[in-house]
Amino acid sequence: MTQRRADPPAARRGALARRAVERGARTEFLAFRMAEEIYAVPISYVKEILKLPPLTEVPRAPSDVMGVISVRGRIVTVRDLRRRLRLAETPSNRRARILLAELPVDQGGGERVGLFVDEVLHVYRFAEDEVESATNILGSELAEYVAGIGRQQGEMVILIDLRPILGGATDKGAALPPALAAAKGGG
Amino acid sequence: MIDQRDEFISEAQEIVEGLSRDLLALDAAIKRASGGHAESDPEVVNDAFRAVHTLKGLSSLFGVARMSTLSHHLEDLLDDLRLGRSEITPKVLDVLFRAVDVYNIMLVALRSGEPEPAREVEELLAALGATTSREGGPSQNPLGDYDLDPGLLGVLTEYEEHRLRANLQQGVGLFKIRARFELATIDTGLDDLKARAKPHGEIITYLPSGEGGDAEAIELDVLLASRQTLDVLRTELAAPGLQIDPVARRGARALVSEPPPTVLGEPARLTTPPSAPQEPARLASPRTREVDVLGEGGREDEASAEPAAGLTIRGVAQTVRVDIRKLDHLMNIVAELAIVRSALGRITDRVRGMPELRELGTELHRLHRSLDRHLGDMQGGILEVRMVPLGQVFDKLARVVRQISREHDKDINLVITGAETEVDKLIVEELSDPLMHMIRNAIDHGIEPREVRRERGKPDTGTIALNAYQKGNHVVIEVQDDGAGIDEERVLLTAQKRGLVTPEEARGLLPREILGFIFLPGFSTKDGASELSGRGVGMDVVKTNIGRLGGVVDVQSELGIGTKMTVTLPITLAIISALVVVVAGRRYALPLASVLEALMFDPASVRTIESREITNLRGQTLPLCRLDALFGLPRPDGAPPPVRQFAVVIGVGNHRLGCVVDSLIGQQDIVIKPLGRTLHGVRGFSGATELGDQNVGLVIDAPALVEEILAPSEAGRLMGQRRLGAGGEAS
Repeated sequence: MTQRRADPPAARRGALARRAVERGARTEFLAFRMAEEIYAVPISYVKEILKLPPLTEVPRAPSDVMGVISVRGRIVTVRDLRRRLRLAETPSNRRARILLAELPVDQGGGERVGLFVDEVLHVYRFAEDEVESATNILGSELAEYVAGIGRQQGEMVILIDLRPILGGATDKGAALPPALAAAKGGG
Repeated sequence: MIDQRDEFISEAQEIVEGLSRDLLALDAAIKRASGGHAESDPEVVNDAFRAVHTLKGLSSLFGVARMSTLSHHLEDLLDDLRLGRSEITPKVLDVLFRAVDVYNIMLVALRSGEPEPAREVEELLAALGATTSREGGPSQNPLGDYDLDPGLLGVLTEYEEHRLRANLQQGVGLFKIRARFELATIDTGLDDLKARAKPHGEIITYLPSGEGGDAEAIELDVLLASRQTLDVLRTELAAPGLQIDPVARRGARALVSEPPPTVLGEPARLTTPPSAPQEPARLASPRTREVDVLGEGGREDEASAEPAAGLTIRGVAQTVRVDIRKLDHLMNIVAELAIVRSALGRITDRVRGMPELRELGTELHRLHRSLDRHLGDMQGGILEVRMVPLGQVFDKLARVVRQISREHDKDINLVITGAETEVDKLIVEELSDPLMHMIRNAIDHGIEPREVRRERGKPDTGTIALNAYQKGNHVVIEVQDDGAGIDEERVLLTAQKRGLVTPEEARGLLPREILGFIFLPGFSTKDGASELSGRGVGMDVVKTNIGRLGGVVDVQSELGIGTKMTVTLPITLAIISALVVVVAGRRYALPLASVLEALMFDPASVRTIESREITNLRGQTLPLCRLDALFGLPRPDGAPPPVRQFAVVIGVGNHRLGCVVDSLIGQQDIVIKPLGRTLHGVRGFSGATELGDQNVGLVIDAPALVEEILAPSEAGRLMGQRRLGAGGEAS
């Protein structure tokens, strides 16, 4: 079994390790595109990436619920982060994916939720000093959903805090900050 | 650790249920004997004793101190009973039944992590102390009258001696069976003999005869008490190497002497008809299932396999206990396979459509059909494993009837039929509360006091019939009493007092609509709440609980003659039949259990009363609900609704609602999956299901829909006083 899947070459492994030591502990983030922006979430929360299956809308559900899908016999609610982040909604194309994400149980997890994204990009490994606090930059009501900004080689990635989105407390629109709830109303 | 505790709780639960059944059997035996000496099956008393003994061991193992203490004292009492040191009286049974209740209270507390209930246990222990004053031992000693080997008498255990005395006192004949067993197969040989002897009498003891044995075989003397004649026994038990002789009764009451070498004469016999100690009527059904989800079998099977043998920890039964979640998991896999199967079916059809691949297509088709068949079998198999007999819940109800009727001093005869009817384990669990409420109502409101019954020319003993049977994919349970019936006038008066209906409206109500009021929360016609019911809680709980299971309750009543409540339930929650409908291009599943009929919708028949649409169905008013409007579903390209629409009439309890849909796709068996936590606040759907092609369809929660449209005011249902609850965002 191990014969087929080769380990990374020893040299490369060495380089990775060296860099990790140089820059301190690193966290892996999965980057994706929504509207024209690049976002990322800790990859440990992402259990699976799916192509867009047929979506069934749920009448009278909170407005950021796109619908439900079936993942191997389990019904999963798909949520649209664009509506939470007040992004433009472009029609989805072939690159659209659903990230199956789940928070650790101690952070209010337990339910696996699908997150709609326009396109999945790649994995970033950010050291602590490459992430800066979002409050300095945004200062808006969106800061609740943004854990920070990651910078690497001139690229800028918005790191999303999934806790207020997937956690139990914010299941319903009512728990949103008033400004957001007002902005989303009528949806 | 937690798993072990759960395991303990479920095992203890089973044992307590078994104990309860034994007690009911004893109760029935006493009633049969009414007044005379109770001839209860010693095996049942033994069984109860063993149950309590096991509970004692288990609970001390798990450090449940009070349960262990209680079991210890109960064990003493039951030991006295089985050894004949005290008699089984209704009073003693009261205490024992109370013990079952206390055990249940303890288990509930244990499951929810609360401390053990102290007060109940103390009270019960006090009651136990009062009952266990032992009565004097047997008055005569008939043993001396029989030609019995003193060696044998000397080694009888206290229990065996008691059984021997008891049998002789009742004039049962005594026989000695000398049987030869191969050492290699003695276990099975002996079990076989016991099993064959059981219908004819009771084996008191067995001992090696001390003769006739050799290196490969041993000869046993088996002492059998039986009312059969020697000839019958000789034919029934005949086997190679088996010799049956009566134990002679002596004329004089000399003490036992040397064993006589041969038979001396006819055994002492009375003129009683040849009947073995009667097996008490068991409420539980015959158990034929191999795998036993509830884990009912173990103890019981063991008991019958080894009558009167001591306690054993060896499980003889061929059963395993399975967590129902594992079965759900298996069911999910089957549902996945079903989807694979339908995909395969489509490919098969495509291949068959290609002339150059005809042969391959035929082969694929054959394989697909075989897969289809096996998958169906598998699904059926898993469903079957989930099924348990309703007898489980009926047993509990029998206990309730006994308790309440004694409290109220009403004689009630509970007639149970169809206890073997099987339903999904989850449904059985949820059924006991609603049925209990219905029975309580029947006893409290239904069955009249003795004097009133006499005046009305009814027998003193009231009858409550608990009837279960299967009807297609449904199980019907009826609770019927021969009591006073429901007074419609009084129901109406109460409804008017509560402002639920005006006198004018009241005149137009049909009997079944009037009876429907009793299912409203807080509705009671009885002045002054009684201990049991009449506080107005109960029937609405019944309705809600049954509704949650996808079932309906109906009530029929005739004043002075009686009341019949009919509960109709789906057989299983795992797979249900649903009607798939289309609304604005979306597919929804309506559980067939709630669907009464589907008919063409005639827009011309619709009248609007205060913004509410109603139509007429065979002379009855039918409120309507346009699902597209309720769900806020836009039609593709803003097209108008099709000209031809359908109304699916759903019924929940006594309520009817016509759901207007675009088209009907047909009936389909579906597996309902729960919606995620995110969607808990969304009303109107009980879950989702896969409809094939990876497509998910939402399952409409019919009771919730009816509730949403018709509640809160029942009167508003008829008069359209309530604004239509359509549209609007879910909370």
